Amino acid sequence: MTRFIMLALLVNFITISQGLSALSPSDGQGGVYEDLKWKALLCCELPFAQTLDGGLSEPPPVGQCQLLNATKPEFSNTSPTLFGNCLDILCWLEGERTNLICNAKSHRAAAATSLLNIRPQLVVQMNVRSDEIMSTGSHAAQCAGEETVMCSVSLHGNDATVLLTISITLNETTALSPKMQVSTHHLRRPDAPVNLHYNVTTEGEVIFRWSDTQPDSYAVNYEIRYSSNSSLQQWEMVKVKGRSWVPLNDLSSAIRYTVQVRCQSHFSYWSEWSQPFYFTLDVSYIPAEVFTAPGSEVTVSAVFHNRSWSASKAVWMLNGQVKIPESHYRVINEQVSAVTVTVDEPGFDTLMCCHQWGERFKCFIAYAKIYTQGMFNADITCQSKNSEEDTMRCEWNKSTWAQVRLLYSSRRYTMCETISEMEGSEEAEESMSLVKECPSGPGDHRECTLRNLSMFSCYKIWLEVEGGRGKVRSFPVYVAPIDVVKPSSPTDLEATTLPNKTLSVSWKRPNLPVYDMQYELRFVALRGMANTQWKVMGPLLEPNAEILLEESCVQFNVEVRCRRLNGSGYWSDWSMSYTSVVYNRKAPEMGPDFWRIIQEDPLRNVTNTNVTLIIKQPILAGDPYSCVEGLVFEHQASGRAVWSNETTLVQFHSFQWRKEAHTVTVMSRNALGISTRNRNITLFHQPKRRVVRSFSVVANASCVHLSWSLLPDHPVPQSFVIEWLDLNKDPEQDMSLIERLQWVRVQSTARDLSLCRRFYGSEEFTLYPVFVDGEGEPVRYTATRGNPAAYILLLIIAFLSMVLFVTLLISQNQMRKLMWKDVPNPNNCSWAKGMDFRQIDTMENLFPHSEGLTACPLLLVSESICEVEIIEKPHPVTLEHEKDNVVLTYNSGDKTTTSSALLADSSEPLSLEASTAAPTPETSGQSSVTYSTILLSDQPSLLRKQQESLSSSSDEGNFSANNSDISGSFPGGLWDLENHVCSDSANPRHSSSYNSVEEFSDTSDQDYEASENTGVAKDLYYLEVNEEEDEDEEEIKETQGEQEKNEIVVRVDARPLLESKDSTSVDSNNISHSIPLYLPQFRTECINPP
Amino acid sequence: MYFPALLYPCILGMLGLVHAIPVHQDSLKNLVKPQAETIILRIKDHNKLKLSPKIFIDPELYPEVPADKPIQGLGSIVDTLTTFQKILQKLPNGNVSQISTDLFTLLGNLKDRMKSLRCTLKEPANDRSLDAFLENNATHPITLGFLALDRLKQFMQKLIINLDHLKSC
Repeated sequence: MTRFIMLALLVNFITISQGLSALSPSDGQGGVYEDLKWKALLCCELPFAQTLDGGLSEPPPVGQCQLLNATKPEFSNTSPTLFGNCLDILCWLEGERTNLICNAKSHRAAAATSLLNIRPQLVVQMNVRSDEIMSTGSHAAQCAGEETVMCSVSLHGNDATVLLTISITLNETTALSPKMQVSTHHLRRPDAPVNLHYNVTTEGEVIFRWSDTQPDSYAVNYEIRYSSNSSLQQWEMVKVKGRSWVPLNDLSSAIRYTVQVRCQSHFSYWSEWSQPFYFTLDVSYIPAEVFTAPGSEVTVSAVFHNRSWSASKAVWMLNGQVKIPESHYRVINEQVSAVTVTVDEPGFDTLMCCHQWGERFKCFIAYAKIYTQGMFNADITCQSKNSEEDTMRCEWNKSTWAQVRLLYSSRRYTMCETISEMEGSEEAEESMSLVKECPSGPGDHRECTLRNLSMFSCYKIWLEVEGGRGKVRSFPVYVAPIDVVKPSSPTDLEATTLPNKTLSVSWKRPNLPVYDMQYELRFVALRGMANTQWKVMGPLLEPNAEILLEESCVQFNVEVRCRRLNGSGYWSDWSMSYTSVVYNRKAPEMGPDFWRIIQEDPLRNVTNTNVTLIIKQPILAGDPYSCVEGLVFEHQASGRAVWSNETTLVQFHSFQWRKEAHTVTVMSRNALGISTRNRNITLFHQPKRRVVRSFSVVANASCVHLSWSLLPDHPVPQSFVIEWLDLNKDPEQDMSLIERLQWVRVQSTARDLSLCRRFYGSEEFTLYPVFVDGEGEPVRYTATRGNPAAYILLLIIAFLSMVLFVTLLISQNQMRKLMWKDVPNPNNCSWAKGMDFRQIDTMENLFPHSEGLTACPLLLVSESICEVEIIEKPHPVTLEHEKDNVVLTYNSGDKTTTSSALLADSSEPLSLEASTAAPTPETSGQSSVTYSTILLSDQPSLLRKQQESLSSSSDEGNFSANNSDISGSFPGGLWDLENHVCSDSANPRHSSSYNSVEEFSDTSDQDYEASENTGVAKDLYYLEVNEEEDEDEEEIKETQGEQEKNEIVVRVDARPLLESKDSTSVDSNNISHSIPLYLPQFRTECINPP
Repeated sequence: MYFPALLYPCILGMLGLVHAIPVHQDSLKNLVKPQAETIILRIKDHNKLKLSPKIFIDPELYPEVPADKPIQGLGSIVDTLTTFQKILQKLPNGNVSQISTDLFTLLGNLKDRMKSLRCTLKEPANDRSLDAFLENNATHPITLGFLALDRLKQFMQKLIINLDHLKSC
């Protein structure tokens, strides 16, 4: 029995296998899809098999099967055998397209079963057909059982069509079902639509679109729901039939919408709702992307979804920076604006449509993209590095908005020049290797580093704009990395400062690249680091150099760089800085000279005092073959150990002094040892010995001269130190006392010193005598020198005072002229005859001498020299009349002052001297008058004024001194000049000449006021004037003796014009005259020159 | 004999005191402030020439990008910065990458401090609206980056002023 069944199965399998190859998937649908299940009713006719005697059997009979309508089974009465052998077949999906399960169950009548007591043997064969499975091989399952069989086949998550075949064997008769086909797609709900998106028409209508998951979708109906509520409580539903788009109207702007779509299959299965799609309407561009060619016009429209925004207020921006002129705009409707632009250059540009918002533009995130096909210049530059890993770093320029990717390909064994010449040809394109991309990928990059390069290959490098479909790209550059190498810096740098003023430098070149190198060297002295000016030397072809120096013993910082000798390439970075070593043959001989500053801080511990040593610069070693590299400060305090500090070449060194005997020795050092001849200093707190007797400082414009002397019988100091503060340095600019202090050491034999440098003249110099065992008592002296600026200021003030004074004189004289012009000469008045106007209260003294004075003016020969002899005597004034001349003698006390003395005194600062103007042709015939008036006062200084007037009017001006005594007496003289012309027959042009000297006391102004106000008389003295002719010196010589005989002397009456009673006295030798008040104070005789 | 009995609670008290000593906040301030200032400066350089100064993007239109979020402690700061980090990660590579790295480091420091303070760390929210927003605007990375960085800069400035909020969760 078993063997029989096995045989039947084998035959069945072979039959099915042959049948499968011949069947197409469309054959034999069979069942129905219902409730996500596939159902079928299979009925088979199974005749009984006949067994022959003798053990021979006939071939087993073959039954027939027929699929009936599973939903309405119509059992044929004409075929009772079929009725008794039917199978219910049910298939369904397990899981999410994991397995297809089919169940076949016998449908035999109970009577038949009981009669025969034989159960049918069922075999179910399932074969999966799908494109994916067919490619990897058939996928099948076979299951066997009695009366009921359940079989499962794996679908691997895919939709597939499964071929189902069932064989039924009963009583050695086998029947095979027709081929049944189950589509798993119909056993599940349809997938929700995907790719939800929307478009906007130029009319502003929003078209919402989606896609089915499979192209041959059985979906026939769709439902769309959208909500503006974040809680998704209220949905708007839209039904769509037969198409995958729908216009959505009445959407508002600036609201975030959530949209979902579902679909319905042919079998009325609804899919799940799709993933929500969120969108906010602001502005939409039509088209959102434009591909164009250079020079072509591009028109882009923008739809404002905000109804309150008007297209008439649209503002278009090119690349977010440039506002496109409004002439390029076009209003399509209230919500739609269009712009037309022409892009000339290949590349990538953007357009933004914004809304005018006051002075600014309100914009959105969205923008339209314009791809202009062609090649643009990206200025790609590369720099390679040839080291353990060869790399090349490339940089480029690009549009701010463009997202780019760097692409490159290479060609070995070919020169870049050759490839670039072949640019565009197929040969060139073919010769290049596969295109590679910068590891950074597309983005907003402006640089990229390429690795794993071949230095001797030629690389073609270019940019492509992302989204430009490969048609918007930059011009390619062809680069051989070996030509753009930036080498590594030289290494192993060594530098030595040699005694022969040479800096010797050597270094080692980088190993790669292997081509010849050139070098540049730069160096800077370590001394004075504030002024670090590198000196560059090169190009050098060898990895060493020797540099001649101006001085030895100087350390330098040295750096080197290299580049390719012949051909292109870049300079390497400068190497690490190296400090040169100073070469020495022996240790320094002597230590540096130094001085100290002792600074006591009263607020801190008084027992400790801060001492700073100032080292004289530069520090010399004393031998050309040894250099000083540092200093050693050796301290020794009384009763304490010796200690030392080692420093570099410092200028200052500070330490704490405990007011005890402290000796500091400063030594120079280098690598070979320390100096042996050193200077030391000993600090004592005890009173110091005094050896300096005098110390003086004299400053002139540029130098300061110092001199000093020592007390006798005192030991001679070892040296002197003179210190002072440099006033040129501003103490407020962080200039400490230590930095401002200047000092100089002087030999012990010197007693004076000249320092020539910039001094202010107010420096305080301190002289320190320095002994072997300490310092002596210092002596200070402050140089005093007037500030040149003060002198200049004083001169300016003096000059201005003089100008002011002259101005006052002139103005007052003018005033006086106006005032006195019309006043008649009292001498011509009958009532004034014989009246003495000098003293108002002694009128009786005036009139008796009225006859003695004539109205003859003081006519002197022009250009004559007048000698003024001032004789100050205690006697009263006398007027001496002689026959041929008039001698006015002024005696006032015992003093006799000559004019020469007055002239000498004229150089006094307060003296005023009016120079005599030389006669001009126009005025040569006018009188020239010199007045001399002396006012006695308590002040010893005299004021001399000499004026020469060239006209009568100027005479008035010259007479108008601000002294009432003088001014009061001049009008009379003027009248005399006007009324009495002293004619000279020999020289008629020379009318007269007056020499007048006025001497003012310092209190003349006060006196003037007093006399004006109170009428108190002041003493006005006459000068004795010796008139000489100076026209011709020869004539003078010839007539000298005669002149001596007939000396023309104008003696000035020393009696005051307004003389007080006490002072009025008459010299017994002279005739005393009372001068009228308004009469001229000077009386002359008309002199005819010999 | 009472000494050990007194010593024990004393030691326990000391241990409790040590445990209760709050983490010194100045160190976090000193760490956060320079990081925030660095991000601000990088954003200023990045946004310098992107858009004309006349252009402004209305922040109300894009609520997905945090704007003027209140600072109420470490939790709120981390939430906001996480959103910014998510946005920056969606932007193209380039100069934004460095800012994104800086922001990532800052977030790490703040999260570490939240752990030390035993604050509750929120799981990253599945903000579908933010994802959809980023997806819809992925084609406009320049303006999206400009807007996001500008708001991140404002938040960093606000954070510098409110460094005291780093003390609380």
